[in-house]
Amino acid sequence: MSLSHRDDQKEVVNVGRRRLLTSGAAGGATLLASATNALSASKPDPAITEIQDWNRYTGDGVDARPYGTPSAFEKDVVRRNVPWLTADPIASVNFTPLHELDGIITPNGLCFERHHGGIAEIDPAEHRLMINGLVERPLVFTMEDLMRFPRVNRVYFLECAANTGMEWRGAQLNGCQFTHGMIHNVMYTGVPLRLLLEEAGVKTAGKWVLPEGADASHMTRSIPLEKALDDCIVAFKMNGEALRPEQGYPVRLVVPGWEGNMWVKWLRRIEVGDQPWHHREETSKYTDLLESGKARRFTWEMDVKSVITNPSPQAPLTHGSGHTVLSGVAWSGSGKVKRVDVSIDGGRNWQTSRLDGPSLSKSMHRFYFDFDWDGSEMFLQSRAMDENGQVQPTKNQLREARGPNSVYHNNSIQTWHVKPDGSAENVEIS
Amino acid sequence: MSKFPKLLLSLAVVGSLGGGVSFADEIKDGKKVFKKCRACHAVGKKAKNKVGPHLNDLFGRTAGALEGYKFSKAMKAAGADGLVWNNDTIDQFVTKPKKLIKKTKMAFAGLKKEKDRANLMAYLKSFDSDAGSDAAKDDKPVDKEASGEQTTKTASTTDGATQPKTASGSGGKLNIGRLALTEEVKAWDIDVRYDGQGLPPGKGTVAEGEPIFTEQCASCHGDFGEGVDRWPVLAGGQGTLEDDRPEKTIGSYWPYTSTVFDYIRRAMPFGNARSLSDDEVYALTAYVLYLNDIVEDEDFELSKENFNSIRLPNEKNFIADTRNEEPHYKPVTEPCMKDCKPEPAKLLMRARVLDVTPDGDHEGSLD
Ligand code: HEC
Ligand code: HEC
Repeated sequence: MSLSHRDDQKEVVNVGRRRLLTSGAAGGATLLASATNALSASKPDPAITEIQDWNRYTGDGVDARPYGTPSAFEKDVVRRNVPWLTADPIASVNFTPLHELDGIITPNGLCFERHHGGIAEIDPAEHRLMINGLVERPLVFTMEDLMRFPRVNRVYFLECAANTGMEWRGAQLNGCQFTHGMIHNVMYTGVPLRLLLEEAGVKTAGKWVLPEGADASHMTRSIPLEKALDDCIVAFKMNGEALRPEQGYPVRLVVPGWEGNMWVKWLRRIEVGDQPWHHREETSKYTDLLESGKARRFTWEMDVKSVITNPSPQAPLTHGSGHTVLSGVAWSGSGKVKRVDVSIDGGRNWQTSRLDGPSLSKSMHRFYFDFDWDGSEMFLQSRAMDENGQVQPTKNQLREARGPNSVYHNNSIQTWHVKPDGSAENVEIS
Repeated sequence: MSKFPKLLLSLAVVGSLGGGVSFADEIKDGKKVFKKCRACHAVGKKAKNKVGPHLNDLFGRTAGALEGYKFSKAMKAAGADGLVWNNDTIDQFVTKPKKLIKKTKMAFAGLKKEKDRANLMAYLKSFDSDAGSDAAKDDKPVDKEASGEQTTKTASTTDGATQPKTASGSGGKLNIGRLALTEEVKAWDIDVRYDGQGLPPGKGTVAEGEPIFTEQCASCHGDFGEGVDRWPVLAGGQGTLEDDRPEKTIGSYWPYTSTVFDYIRRAMPFGNARSLSDDEVYALTAYVLYLNDIVEDEDFELSKENFNSIRLPNEKNFIADTRNEEPHYKPVTEPCMKDCKPEPAKLLMRARVLDVTPDGDHEGSLD
């Protein structure tokens, strides 16, 4: 009963879980054993009885890895893209491997990327941040200047408004990396935008700001001044180290709880104005077309949402029936997640999961549901609730309200079908 | 190998200009120059044909002959006439593509700087399997001096470009930063607002826009804005917004003409942003309006003065964020926990794209 002989298994492997193939092929016996709760092994385990190379020989010294990288056994834990989504990888997206991660922080090298003109490689010595428009003093800051402002550290999720956007018409992409991977959760260090705006002195007519990137797309978005003064950060560090080039090195805007496109990377200018600009990314894109032909604009806030990351199509249950850990992430653009309920019967009955780890406003939360799997098929769902009483809707509720062509802001409940063999699939149910 | 002496020659020239530039440096600088080509060409191990053919093993290759890529008639004819890519011919082509091959479809103005071209040549050469370096097959060419650079970097933060250490300060509360000069604001503040605020002086006609579009835009967006392959569609789709599969274009969806002007000026042509003059952007905007039947006369001239008279048909169909009027936004204190559905769940549909590979029917768009 080697898992690797199964057709649907091939597809899981295609998506990159080579490890599963290995464990499936080598572990057929183990799988049976654990399924019958046999606790003692018949033969001694060579992993214990034999002396391994790493038990005997010394390894690399401290000079071998000046910047550490993950173990070679983690080589499949990578961002992945879906080439047919866009014409060119230079204006495209890749996805965070959520099913491989735990806790709430996304490692820097795995944060999904979305850019519109490729990765700008900027020498920080040549980078400037300008503030102009309706201000008392138009200013220019160097990176050194920015470092002289008082700093804050905050953990926030960044979700692309198009996350789960392929699923409006029905189950499409088979893996939570692809259905939900346009999100990451990082601790930022930076200067409150309010301080920079105060330094320039916003004139009373000023009501909006327009951040602009230095990359070849010169990304721009209109943001209400109220938000800019509230919690936006001009950040230069992520998870303690310099921003990665693909995340906007040397400096980016952080717009907590609001759609990722507004978090302008490679930030070089902030203009203050009295009205919004209606630029391409807030007209042609990031507007939500309804069935009536009308389109909503300035839909900034990200709604409450969650997804089960394990098990999921790329992370099947390999151990057979018995005690298992179901895990997932939840977030809300309007505050803290208060509670996540989990269903194993497709939303008929629910149980409240256990939130673990820091619970921070506008940050990812980690939930666990520890239970005994009886080995029968499951329709797994998670339903998040935030501190304002907002509850994640079903797919049908969203479709009824908006039709299938909104593209953005799909925060509906996801269903994974787990089969008796432990494999999982993205499905829609009644 | 016969090409090698020539390469040395061109290196010698650059050497005498730039003063002691190493080969590795040239490749590194060449990589930067290649950014201008990257929107359309790939090199390196995984290089595929994009808008233009891949450029691996370019040296010694007959023009227009690479299999699996659809060249223009002009490029194929040049190859048939004996044009082979080498230092001289690539240099000539890249200096001004249309001068060497009048009707090539490569929409690229040219590299004016000799030094850029020499560096680019060294970079491209490093992807030549004849050159013998295996490292070069990766898309990271030999880069021996990279580590040496770090030490100089910290020192260079106070070079001429930055302001003197004792700058007088912003005059703000913390006195950090400095006042922006008018020229500096002018150089960066190019945004145009929905009501036309920020438009530069200038003008251009549909007829003037057409050849620019054909030369610089059509390779991706199609001669009529219909979009080549997956590149964005710029025209058509009027009346489809309530359809099952709406087509959102400038004519069918965009609310404001100013956005067309602003976006082309800041981001297009893809891979060569900020290269168009203001008059060219006016002409291209006029042409895109023409492709969308918003203006119908080829002599129509768009200018700062008449800009606001051109309204797009879908302007009135944008509304505010009314999400929280939807029924499921009503705050809930205790959601249903038991017997929330009358019957056990039934499977209705499985992921349509099982292995995340393209499948004719479901070509998606990221939007
Ligand atoms: C806007 C897209 C675009 C850009 C930018 C571009 N090219 Fe091209 N290139 C093309 C296309 C399209 C062709 C095919 C031309 C034809 O068939 O007439 C081509 C052809 C070529 C060829 C001929 C290849 C062959 O096998 O015959 C070379 C060499 C070349 N390009 C080099 C460059 C270099 C070097 C740069 C950067 C300095 C560059 N190109 C920038 C689109 C582009
Ligand atoms: C090398 C391919 C290429 C060329 C050449 C090119 N574009 Fe584009 N264009 C793109 C891509 C890619 C995008 C979308 C970028 C993104 O995703 O942010 C785009 C987007 C656009 C859009 C916005 C489309 C929408 O629906 O939002 C307009 C307008 C546009 N281009 C106009 C032009 C004009 C005018 C030219 C010529 C001056 C041009 N483009 C040349 C690739 C190209």
